[in-house]
Amino acid sequence: MSLTARGHLATALLLLPALLFIAVWFVTPLAQLFQLSVSDKAGPFAPYAQLLGSEVYRRVFVNTLWLALTVTAISILLAYPTAYVLTRLKGWWWTLAFYCVLFPFWISVLIRTFAWMLLLEKNGPINRVLLELGAIDRPLELLFNAGSVHIGMVHVLLPYAVLPIYAAMIRVDHRLLLASDGLGAAPLMTFLRIYLPLTMPGVTAAAVFVFLLALGFFITPALLGGVSAITVAMLIEQLVNERLVWSLAGAASFILLAVIFALLALAARFVPLGQALVAR
Amino acid sequence: MSAGRSVAFAGIARSFGAVQALRPTDLAVAAGEFLTLLGPSGSGKTTLLNIAAGYIAPSAGRVLIDGRDVTALPARQRNIGMVFQNYALFPHLTVAGNVAYGLKARGRPADEIARRIGDALALVQLDGLGERAISALSGGQQQRVALARALVIEPDVLLMDEPLGALDRQLRKHVQLEIRRLHREHGRTTIYVTHDQEEALVMSDRIGVMRDGRIAQLGTARELYENPIDSFVASFLGESNLLDGRLISVNHGRARLDVPGLGVVEGVAADGLEGMSDVAALVRPEDVAVEPARGGWPARIEEVVYLGDLTALKVRLANGQDIWCRRHARLGVPAGAVTIGWEAAAIRILPRSQPTKTEERTP
Amino acid sequence: MIVTRSLIHGLASAVLAFLVLPILAVLPASFNRASFIRLPPTEYSLRWYERFFQDREWLTSLATSTKVALLTALIALALGTAAAIGLERLRGRLRGVLTGLFLAPMIVPVVVTAVALYYVIRPMGLSGTVLGLALGHAVLALPFVIINVGVSLRTLDPALLRAADGLGASPARVFLTITLPIILPGLIGGAVFALITSFDELVVAIFLSGIQAKTLPVKIWEVIRLEFTPVVAVASTVLIAITVALFGAARTLGPRERSRP
Ligand SMILES: Nc1ncnc2c1ncn2[C@@H]1O[C@H](COP(=O)(O)OP(=O)(O)O)[C@@H](O)[C@H]1O
Ligand SMILES: [Mg+2]
Repeated sequence: MSLTARGHLATALLLLPALLFIAVWFVTPLAQLFQLSVSDKAGPFAPYAQLLGSEVYRRVFVNTLWLALTVTAISILLAYPTAYVLTRLKGWWWTLAFYCVLFPFWISVLIRTFAWMLLLEKNGPINRVLLELGAIDRPLELLFNAGSVHIGMVHVLLPYAVLPIYAAMIRVDHRLLLASDGLGAAPLMTFLRIYLPLTMPGVTAAAVFVFLLALGFFITPALLGGVSAITVAMLIEQLVNERLVWSLAGAASFILLAVIFALLALAARFVPLGQALVAR
Repeated sequence: MSAGRSVAFAGIARSFGAVQALRPTDLAVAAGEFLTLLGPSGSGKTTLLNIAAGYIAPSAGRVLIDGRDVTALPARQRNIGMVFQNYALFPHLTVAGNVAYGLKARGRPADEIARRIGDALALVQLDGLGERAISALSGGQQQRVALARALVIEPDVLLMDEPLGALDRQLRKHVQLEIRRLHREHGRTTIYVTHDQEEALVMSDRIGVMRDGRIAQLGTARELYENPIDSFVASFLGESNLLDGRLISVNHGRARLDVPGLGVVEGVAADGLEGMSDVAALVRPEDVAVEPARGGWPARIEEVVYLGDLTALKVRLANGQDIWCRRHARLGVPAGAVTIGWEAAAIRILPRSQPTKTEERTP
Repeated sequence: MIVTRSLIHGLASAVLAFLVLPILAVLPASFNRASFIRLPPTEYSLRWYERFFQDREWLTSLATSTKVALLTALIALALGTAAAIGLERLRGRLRGVLTGLFLAPMIVPVVVTAVALYYVIRPMGLSGTVLGLALGHAVLALPFVIINVGVSLRTLDPALLRAADGLGASPARVFLTITLPIILPGLIGGAVFALITSFDELVVAIFLSGIQAKTLPVKIWEVIRLEFTPVVAVASTVLIAITVALFGAARTLGPRERSRP
């Protein structure tokens, strides 16, 4: 056997186990779920028609998109200045600040959400402090509404927004800003004309990640949200675990996936997402 | 120690996609020979060396070591010693760990390994540094560890890919002589790759000048210097002045060419010149006589470089061409307008080769 | 100027505090003495820790989580390391396509992966087993291992492998004596990622858990939705402690960065 053939064989043998694993436990299950969603007794696309035709289900999709959008907007707005300050910090302060961003990554979403339940509870510390300060005279209903869902989701997703923006910011050559200054530009103009455009790829990547992750959110809205505002992920879970209508769950899954892949394909034309993803 | 073995390449070629890194090449390296592959970056030297080692497979052709076809053998079964350009020392092993690696892979007993590490380190003058970490060594020391690691396995052939490229000039000269001494003492067949002509001249029995994936000319340093086959080889080996012109006539080993703005230049014709049109006259700097205005070509001195025993002069001819010449420093430097001349017997008229990706070369 | 700068710094500090402090609220909650959660507690005690560590159900779920995490790490590390090395040997289009395939579980919403997996695993009788849970978690952990190992493989100079090969070492020997020691930090990182992914994961676990095998997060999830007792805070603290311990172990076990020649 030639040297080249031997090399190819070795490469194939290295990749094969993982490929088989992914094929059996990831690709095949998805394919079967898809198969199920298009082979309903009522007609090939009946579950899709049912989901998209019903006012109730349509609202779940719209709610989810809207929730993802607002959470993304808030996350980016908070992440941008935070990432900027991270680029200006040095030494010990930088380490501390960076660990503050990374620490939540390591903690289970369930526990992070639980922590917010403790804080926002009717008898929780926030309500008690406000009461003691006399700012309110009855405890506020902080939990189980859109506000608590937003707080919880932003908390979970913010690190995903900070890191790509930070990565774009440290690549900016600071001499460009000095040059702009030197040319007589006001700080605001330097920011708008130089800094913002240069860091925009990071913002785009961050927005795409946060939005895509937000679309699939389950735990946080399930625990912090009210019963009326459910997300697609919660719907899928209910369809399977409570109502046992697999074909609808499959259809909802693939509508969600279609939205995600369409968005990814669109975004990939503007930013090298692969790099940003691996850079995590 | 065992003497080296012969290496032969028969019709070896290799392409990477559309790039022909190596065109079909035949080359026979005699047992015990020190052969240098000299050529600009990208000319295929590393590719040829890696094919010899078994790191890459040729697209066509065969490799023979000591007459045996090893084309399909992986590197580990070829018993070859390789010194890499950046040494490729194992960063997580000590000096001794690096040197011992090939012996351990061969399953040698521990006491033999210990003895041979000692010998190898002594050979490259690194006695007592066995327990050092690689990162704690200087560049020159790392280079010698790489050499010891390749030699300790007593390879049939030693391959070196620009092994001195990362060293400063002073150290490079020293190690060149060191490598030459080791070769003289052990007679191990060596294929050495470099783009530095001086290195090639110092060490080699024969030199293969490579260009665009083929060996342009193969021969001893003297043959290449005195009888280059074309202007590329002439300019790559030694200092040279090339006067481009159109061939007028070839006669009894003599050739005449017309150099625009200068007139007729005569010299010794290289082989196969007949019927060519674009040719060049090769004038070595040491063959140029610079006189205060006498019969010859009028010229102006543009630059004077003091080189110790020699002085290099750059003179500009009437057609604007610059010619470098060298003369003994004690002869002094004539001032102002001069004429230059040379013996026709010292001049070679060569085929002109097309420009290549060769790096800029200064005289 | 100065005002703008202090505003930005103030906002960033608030954001950083927002990221970390709420998580820490779980710790004092776990030391409550009362039978409901009060923050900060009026009286501290270890009562709910005793309760947690004496409750068979909590302990069983902790044991299940541990088994699942270890099995997950084993599967993901073995398959992921080989795959990362294989990917590194590929060039061009195929490499991109396969990388995309291996990383796809990071893009597909976990709910979708979980439902699909549940759908095929249930008829096999793997639902509600440690093996089933580990298979699901390994799908999610595999990309992290491939990324971590891939990053450290890229620090491995291919000339080192050629050198070892030329010195007569068999492929297995090259792997054990050169590749493995040099990519060890990546392997440890990948293993920790896999362990933490499994310990923390809830969505796949909700679908694949059963009476026989229920992970700690699933148990927490079930209890949170029913009652709000400090024992949940204890369980959460245990999970945080495991995560932090794993992370710390990786930092101390992982070899120091070596300066390359
Ligand atoms: N692995 C490779 N893939 C693609 N092209 C290559 C590869 N290796 C070498 N080449 C190309 O082959 C030619 C010869 O390369 P090489 O043998 O490394 O030259 P040298 O060692 O003389 O500098 C170059 O044009 C180089 O770009
Ligand atoms: Mg080379």
